[in-house]
Amino acid sequence: MSDGMRRALGFVRRVLQRKGALLSVLFLATVTTVAIFARWIVPYDPVAQDLISTLEPPSARHWFGADELGRDILSRVIYGARTSLITAAGAVTIAGLVGVPIGLVAGFFGGWRDAVLMRIVDVLVSLPGILLAMALIAVLGRSQLAALVAVGITGIPSFARITRAQVLSLRKRDFVMAVEALGGSSTYNMFTTVLPNSWSPILVQVVILSAVAILLEAALAFLGIGIPPPTPSWGEMLRTGKSYLYEAPYYAVLPGIVLTLTILSLDTLGRTLALVLEDRHEVTEEEAEPDRSAA
Amino acid sequence: MTGYIIRRLFQLLPVLLIASVGIWAMIYAVPGTPIGAIVGENGTQEQIQAAIERLGLDQPVLVQFWNWFRNAILGDFGFSTQSRQPVLDIIVQRIPATVQLGTGAILIGLILGIPVAIISAVYPGSWIDRSLSGWSALALGVPTFWLGILLILLFSVHLSWLPSASGYVSFWENPLLAIRNTFLPALTLGVYVSGIFARFLRASLLSELKADYVRTARSKGLKERDVIGRHVLRNALLPFVTVVGLMAAAFIGGTVVTEAVFTYPGIGRLLIQAISTRDYPLIQGVILFILVVHVLINLLVDVLYAYIDPRIDYS
Repeated sequence: MSDGMRRALGFVRRVLQRKGALLSVLFLATVTTVAIFARWIVPYDPVAQDLISTLEPPSARHWFGADELGRDILSRVIYGARTSLITAAGAVTIAGLVGVPIGLVAGFFGGWRDAVLMRIVDVLVSLPGILLAMALIAVLGRSQLAALVAVGITGIPSFARITRAQVLSLRKRDFVMAVEALGGSSTYNMFTTVLPNSWSPILVQVVILSAVAILLEAALAFLGIGIPPPTPSWGEMLRTGKSYLYEAPYYAVLPGIVLTLTILSLDTLGRTLALVLEDRHEVTEEEAEPDRSAA
Repeated sequence: MTGYIIRRLFQLLPVLLIASVGIWAMIYAVPGTPIGAIVGENGTQEQIQAAIERLGLDQPVLVQFWNWFRNAILGDFGFSTQSRQPVLDIIVQRIPATVQLGTGAILIGLILGIPVAIISAVYPGSWIDRSLSGWSALALGVPTFWLGILLILLFSVHLSWLPSASGYVSFWENPLLAIRNTFLPALTLGVYVSGIFARFLRASLLSELKADYVRTARSKGLKERDVIGRHVLRNALLPFVTVVGLMAAAFIGGTVVTEAVFTYPGIGRLLIQAISTRDYPLIQGVILFILVVHVLINLLVDVLYAYIDPRIDYS
């Protein structure tokens, strides 16, 4: 076994030794598996209407009950997982691909590049995340892509700031100065010495921002401006379920449980990763609490 | 101090300027013509003419921006395409409702959060600390819109104690009815902020408890209650003030989702309505308003912090 692989395995073991992280990983693995193989797992077609079973309470036939059009809620929750995970993956990718380079350049070069880039980041955080996403959707119109892009853009500042802070702390370290002294170009230095040493906080950010992205996507759908129906989305289900609280309380409760557990699992996993990677005892507020005040 | 405030204000200028350009450019980015976005699809010929003159839409783009920007600074955001009322009037009407909800939420957050933080910090690592930390994690992780739904199910559907949809009643006019209407949304948001407050104050208390003056206070025989109450809590509350301030800033526009759950008529709901009716002057006005207030409260929090903590060097 190579040295790198042994270290990676040791790392995974240290994360999974914590009960909370283990449970989180198990839950997330289940959600992901179910989302990937949704087509073979769902008991019913998630968009098939069956007006005879309208608002049928949970039973052996419909484990999570049926919605106002008689659609199977469990099947919709399963396909909703797919929507959530795709949005999270897409949004975090966008945020990372834009945010990490911004932080890298701003921190590495400093000066006017830093000033300009970080002012742009300041603009993005001058609105609470959900409002920024709403403003973007007001422009882009309501579509799956718009939701994904809007959520992604709100994540850029976190990546930019975390990467910049990390680069600043590495910038004056001996091994980075050494590459510079040996005549390595800035670009070479940035990508081969600084970036590879910045992965830990970025990885933590990926996990925590996935939770934020899932929450934001659900919040937008709940507000009626997220991914348009009939695509199943947990937020959309809560929105519709809210109209049937008296007739069918389970409708808004069951999808909410899955949504909450997914967010809590990602949060727990993110915190544990931070603890193990940095071998610290407290996660700083900025890492742990990216802006999601509104949702 | 004055120099610090002025410098901070100057740092804000580019941010506010870029943000204004973004908000102004919205009407050019949406499908259709800018004029359609400004007066709506059913605008009369006079309304179209008035908008063209007011914003100089027949002039170069820079002039158009300047006209819009000057009007916005003077509080003129144009007219809503739906109600035809001035945008500023519509926004101003909604402010009291959002402020009342935000204040209630912060009060509930403090009532729930401060005791949790103190108990956890006094017995760090104990079972009670662990379960209270679990509570904070839960408070932060549960989406507010789902928590709101659960509270409606309990208090409105099951117990029939409180209305499931909240109107706005001013606290000063009818305190009882106001509490009846604002309590559930305020509790929903309050639970969330209590998680932030508890976590932050706990960390702040723990770091203060390690300080030398605590050892001195203990070694001179002070009771633990006095050590915490007189010394530690006072110092720990200092950074805590900023967190409370930042939450207040977030609540200016950040109550959107909670307002939607309870159909509460605040600024957030105004924005959702504006977006769903494509009322662009109103969207621009609300977003610009929230942005400016959010940025200014953030600045105020920074300045306040520098003012109350003499250790901070603001030169």
